Amino acid sequence: MQVLLNFFIKHNHWFLFLLLEGISFMLIVRFNNYQSASFFTATNRVAGDVYSMITNVNAYFGLKKENEELLKHNLDLTKELTELQEQLATLTAREALDSNAVYERNRERYLFNTARVVNNSLNSFNNYIVLDKGTADGVHPEMGVFGNDGVVGVIYTASEHYSLVVPLLNSKSNISCRVRNNDNFCTLQWDGEDISYSYLIDLPRYTKFEQGDTVVTSGFSSIFPGDIPVGIIDRVEESKNGMFYRARVKILTDFASLNSVYVIGNRGYEEQQELENKKP
Amino acid sequence: MTRTYLIRFCNFVILALVQVLIFSNIHLFGYATAYIYLLFILKLPRLTSRNELLMWGFFLGLIVDIFGNTPGINAMAATAVAFTRNSIMSAFITKETADDFIPSVHNVGVARYLSYALVCLLQFYILLFILELFTINYPIPLLINVSSSCLLTMLFIAVAEFFTRK
Repeated sequence: MQVLLNFFIKHNHWFLFLLLEGISFMLIVRFNNYQSASFFTATNRVAGDVYSMITNVNAYFGLKKENEELLKHNLDLTKELTELQEQLATLTAREALDSNAVYERNRERYLFNTARVVNNSLNSFNNYIVLDKGTADGVHPEMGVFGNDGVVGVIYTASEHYSLVVPLLNSKSNISCRVRNNDNFCTLQWDGEDISYSYLIDLPRYTKFEQGDTVVTSGFSSIFPGDIPVGIIDRVEESKNGMFYRARVKILTDFASLNSVYVIGNRGYEEQQELENKKP
Repeated sequence: MTRTYLIRFCNFVILALVQVLIFSNIHLFGYATAYIYLLFILKLPRLTSRNELLMWGFFLGLIVDIFGNTPGINAMAATAVAFTRNSIMSAFITKETADDFIPSVHNVGVARYLSYALVCLLQFYILLFILELFTINYPIPLLINVSSSCLLTMLFIAVAEFFTRK
């Protein structure tokens, strides 16, 4: 203690010196704009470096939480994106429907709905298509389905949100057709081989038609209105028993790339059903 | 004793006034400024205690600062000179002199006295201009300022020395 005290007493001029220089320095940085700016900028840079270093280190500890938040955020964004894409697809389909000629002609008598293909088979004898609209959207069995190019098929059954379509590419499909410019109607049947071609059977021998004529819906069934294109006659041959003609028809709808379709239903469907149920 | 301090105080006031009223306003070529108030520190007796030297130096510098509107800069540089003055002096002046020996051209010789003054001034000006520029990134202007100011102050000190009586 004594030694320490002696040390301080012996070197007291050092302390006075440091004190006076300290006061001077404080005066300099306190009262001189330029020097104080320089000084505090310099010290701030040091402090800033230290702070950024600390922040960098701290950031590592927060990475897990950050990651989780990002994942959650990502999920939300993906969900929103899907919803928006869904909406966009619906709107696009609606717009396409508005410019469709069939819709133009029949919108007063028929109900139209857009739908998207969610499942589609091509390679079996009895193919089916699943649409993303069901009874909740007003889709019922026996409604017609067509695309921008032509007829697709007929709704076979419908659940609340989905419906099953029997397309042209199904051996059970029977669509009432006629050759355009000709009043005789006939039936379109698929032979289960080539997905591009179907056959018109039972064409009376006296009917006049040529290769290249367009086949359209007849309008006699309650499913489709008339004049929706189905296909183009590709080749004409005689049926096995020689009583009728048989025509190979190039189907206009490309089933392999089918995505968005329209569902068409008679406005009087429910009324008609009700009436038919009252049959004795 | 009291008389000694009274005279010293008068010298202090006179030098401070001369400095702030005349010499602080001279900026030769925009570089050289003579701080002749250091003469007061140079002229304190040989064995003045360091504490006393420090106090004189600090307050002298502070007064110059207050009038020159540069708070702290002169005070800091002058305090540093006051602190090292005794060491510098012992390097140039033999110890066999009296305790209240006051160095001048007449008793230690022109060369020794001016060297002693020059070392003190160099130290003072280097510190002063570093504080004023507050950076050492521009050594050339610093060097010009220090050397020109040193020369000018040396000139004034020499003139003052030769005109004082023996």
